[in-house]
Amino acid sequence: MSAHRWNAFFLPVAVLAGPTAYATDYLTVAQAQEQLFPGAQFGEQTLKFSSEQRDRIKAAAGVRQRNDEMKVWRAEKNGKLQGWLMVDEVIGKHEFITYATAIGADGKVLGIEIMSYRETHGGQVREQSWRKQFVGKSVTDPFKLDQDIQNISGATLSCRNVMDGVKRLLVVQQMFLKA
Amino acid sequence: MDVVRRMRPALGTFVEAGASAGLPALDTAFASLALAQERWSFQDPGSELSRINGSDGGWVPVHGDTVRLLRLARGLMLASGGYFDFTVGGAQVRRGSLPDHGGLPALERGTAHDVELRAGAVRLQRPVRLVLDGIAKGFAVDLACRAMRRAGAASGWINAGGDIRVFGDIELPLALRGEDGGIRPHGVLRNAAFASSQVAAMRDDSFPADIIGPAGLAPQPGVWSVLARSAWRADALTKVAAIAPGETRGPLLARLGGQLA
Repeated sequence: MSAHRWNAFFLPVAVLAGPTAYATDYLTVAQAQEQLFPGAQFGEQTLKFSSEQRDRIKAAAGVRQRNDEMKVWRAEKNGKLQGWLMVDEVIGKHEFITYATAIGADGKVLGIEIMSYRETHGGQVREQSWRKQFVGKSVTDPFKLDQDIQNISGATLSCRNVMDGVKRLLVVQQMFLKA
Repeated sequence: MDVVRRMRPALGTFVEAGASAGLPALDTAFASLALAQERWSFQDPGSELSRINGSDGGWVPVHGDTVRLLRLARGLMLASGGYFDFTVGGAQVRRGSLPDHGGLPALERGTAHDVELRAGAVRLQRPVRLVLDGIAKGFAVDLACRAMRRAGAASGWINAGGDIRVFGDIELPLALRGEDGGIRPHGVLRNAAFASSQVAAMRDDSFPADIIGPAGLAPQPGVWSVLARSAWRADALTKVAAIAPGETRGPLLARLGGQLA
């Protein structure tokens, strides 16, 4: 490549829609329960993790379990286990996201709902910050669009954070919430 | 009827959907988006697009929506004189910005005439790699809106990380994040589509150019926003807007059915 050419990337731009553009609450816990496990009864429990358990979660999920407590709702219908509803939070570049994940009794994801999406003040985040992600990378490094480039955008980065979070919740379910 | 809105991860981003017909309409919209992801992802080796790209010159059976999408892409490539180009996958694979799924050695780029279409099937005249990143997300938004209408929604919207379409009796206020990260109000959308792409440039040769314009033309850094009747068109025209030289940009977009926003 020539020494002085501009390289360019198209990045998704966060466009916020709706009358409450900067903070949107989509679902309460009760609404998420009813939507993801319609007609079920819920038993609330709090999982407490030791630091050794958090290390095991990280080893299995590849992402850190930040909190040492997690609230879980066990869903039952006519005494039969339907699955679990877990509420978790991730922090993206420009936003805080609270999301609910429903995991079935068979350990499969039944649904993911964003419960609340809150924009942080983006003004102080300059373009420079994401450019740093490229430091040390070269054309010869194997990388994929979906792994690296799309992550530049705040919105897409936090989407990845949510998907990583779901992976972590599946690990928690496997380790601590046996049917 | 009250409008119900939900946000779920889809198409690699957060997608917000709202509809006047309640949750069932939203579920059909999200199901439609999941299908779009399965069909038109370059990254997924099992997608219909990857089957087309990996073909050896024979007819590849695909869904009717895939034929429609490719027909739109081909038409816009011709009408825009190549400012919109969906045949540059070979160059992008070579530069490492898209994965290589094997198949015949690909040309860096092709022409619109390399893509032959008939009902339910596609054939590549030469070994090009098609990439639908600049149009498929918008098209998926159009299909999701159609799905909501069919499910009985008189009005609704989809916002797929910046590709937006609104239909019916709803006015959707928009706010846009600028290059400095700040958020600014950006008007109201009604019965129309809006798309926004940011071109970030860096004077740095350690990264491959991901957008490849016609010879000698590079995308210009900035946030490019386009209004159009449909989301596929708005999506694709943000790429045209970024590449077209300044003095021709407005007239070209107008001729192609879009408007800088």
